[in-house]
Amino acid sequence: MEWHQTPGNHALCMRYHSTPAITTSLSSPIKVPPSSCGQEAVGMELETRPETLSIFRTQENDPACQSEQHLGQYYTVPPSHFHTVFPHGLPPRYQQQVKTFNEGCVMVRQPALELISHLKRADYSKPTMRYLLYGVKGSGKTMSLCHTVHYCSTQGWLVLHIPDAHLWVKNCKELLPSSYHASRFDQPIQASNWLRNFRTTNEHFLSKIKLRQRYVWTKRESTEEGRPLGELVDMGVSRVKSSSDVVGAVLKELRLQAGGTEGGFRLAVAVDGVNGLWGRTTLKKEDKSPVAPEELTLVHNLRKMINNDWCGGAVIATLSQTGSLYAPSSAYLPQELLGEEGFDSMDPFVPVPVSLYSEKEFESCYLYYLDRHWLQHPHSRTEEGKKELIFLSNRNPSVLERLCAFL
Amino acid sequence: MATRTLKTSILSLGRIHCHIYGVNVRNPLNRATYATALSINTSSQNKGFPDRGNRGPFNRRSRREAGDPRTDRMPVEQDWTAVYPTATPFRQGSVPLPVRMGFPVKKGVPPEKKGNLELIKIPNFLHLTPLAIKKHCEALKPFCTEWPSALDTGAKCDEHFPVKVESKDYVSAGTSLRNPSARIVHLRVSFCVNYDYAMYLLTVLYHESWKMEAWESEKTVADMEEYSWEDSPSQKNIMSTLVRMQVEGEGEAVREELLGRPEVQEYRDSVTRLKNEGESESSMHQYRDAVKKLLNL
Repeated sequence: MEWHQTPGNHALCMRYHSTPAITTSLSSPIKVPPSSCGQEAVGMELETRPETLSIFRTQENDPACQSEQHLGQYYTVPPSHFHTVFPHGLPPRYQQQVKTFNEGCVMVRQPALELISHLKRADYSKPTMRYLLYGVKGSGKTMSLCHTVHYCSTQGWLVLHIPDAHLWVKNCKELLPSSYHASRFDQPIQASNWLRNFRTTNEHFLSKIKLRQRYVWTKRESTEEGRPLGELVDMGVSRVKSSSDVVGAVLKELRLQAGGTEGGFRLAVAVDGVNGLWGRTTLKKEDKSPVAPEELTLVHNLRKMINNDWCGGAVIATLSQTGSLYAPSSAYLPQELLGEEGFDSMDPFVPVPVSLYSEKEFESCYLYYLDRHWLQHPHSRTEEGKKELIFLSNRNPSVLERLCAFL
Repeated sequence: MATRTLKTSILSLGRIHCHIYGVNVRNPLNRATYATALSINTSSQNKGFPDRGNRGPFNRRSRREAGDPRTDRMPVEQDWTAVYPTATPFRQGSVPLPVRMGFPVKKGVPPEKKGNLELIKIPNFLHLTPLAIKKHCEALKPFCTEWPSALDTGAKCDEHFPVKVESKDYVSAGTSLRNPSARIVHLRVSFCVNYDYAMYLLTVLYHESWKMEAWESEKTVADMEEYSWEDSPSQKNIMSTLVRMQVEGEGEAVREELLGRPEVQEYRDSVTRLKNEGESESSMHQYRDAVKKLLNL
């Protein structure tokens, strides 16, 4: 008979030590209440286990079933999900870490749990809710977004993940004038890359969703009404020139059909670095005048998605100063990074602050690195070394990660 | 590469014409030289560049030879105000002082003034010697009148000139010529003087400020001093969202009713606070709570 341990239950009566191996011992039996998430619920005595029990890990790998008792613990993203759910969304350093450790572990933290609870309880017949993750640099906004995206995809939502909106407003080698709208510009490379990743994430939806409108691309090419969405996406990937317009068409179709009564699906729009959509770009037209973001087809269409005039899904966004243009490096509050225009477009939204690691979360991270043998330096295993790490990193997740990479 | 002569450095070695290949030459005037890579001075070896007349890349032919620096010919009793009559950047050929400035590289000394950009960058006061200032004053005298003899005490000055404007100048070492505290100017008015006149002035100003000019109606949102929530995009957004959420009819009555609700009032306060006071953690939290309550989360 299988039974799952919930380490969180006895986290209440244990203290953290600096050794990685912790054995549990309980004086009285604890009844594990039955839950609907598939944990085999038995009221039994949790006896002393001689094997090492990692207190920073949880066996609960389904984001839907995670709750406050799992706060601060790492759960493993099943390898099968990795490539489908996150072809392009994870921060680059985290991707390297996954390759090194051979597993993808994400810490369960308060902002993500809060978001997931909102998503569970929201009413999807009302206009879309917008959630904005904000916080200082390196505090874990992108990781919280990815956690939420994982939840959405395990629940069978259609996920529209834009890994970094700043990539669309800078460093674009090719800017084509749009065929659809005279004053706008297309970005074929970015659009086709995004479509490819979109296709990987949402394979199973592509054949189910049917187009509601006929789209004419050139004199000879058109996509008829009733064709599956997959055909449209394939066309966008292969015909790079019209890929930006294909992106616009895909977004429009999804907006119309999300939350619909027949074959309705829920749509999650996850945008990282959403402050890049308002503000300035570094792109220039041929006469060297700057391009405004609304003159880019991709940005124009994405802004329409972020409006709350559709229903049946949610918009989850993060602010990012790291890739942003013309924003001071100390800026992290929503209004500073979004600007007036951006704030007015996102209003009303629910801001979700992401803070630095708490004591418990820092412990967890430290133990995880020890467990993975990432901290090689002997001094880092001591109490002194831990205090040094706390001091140097100020409990900032990304700074801690970079520091530990040296050890 | 185009060839060029380096006659300037050669000349400063005491007018010896010779073709040197980067070697130190005897130096009768004990001046330091640069060990520079020189090349042969022949125009026939103009590699690769067709003759462009006198406009060649390094216009060798018509280039004037630089003469001696002025410092060689400066007597001790010269008129310095003729050398630096106005504020000009440092010219190493005009200043006869052996000034050195800059960071000394290993086992070295600060670089000399010749070709020294540091000396050129900083402001200098070479045009403000005491003699120069005296000359200025002498030149200004014909335009000045005598100080009125009746105003010999401070009290008399205050009585006749009650309004005083004080401005301050600063001299400090720093990264910038300008000192922000120098921008503050004090205007002092003593009240005991003409109370009635002062009251009259204030009344006039008060009434003037109430008059609306025609161009004031063109005031745009960007000109407003404070953020007002009515008719702002924020209000429009929240109204349309709430109306869609309600599902009950449209119309003015619904809008009025929605506006009257306490959650909407709270939301309005939080947005106004955010925009007027700027952002902070606490105002963000207030906004968050207001939105959550409003949208029934």
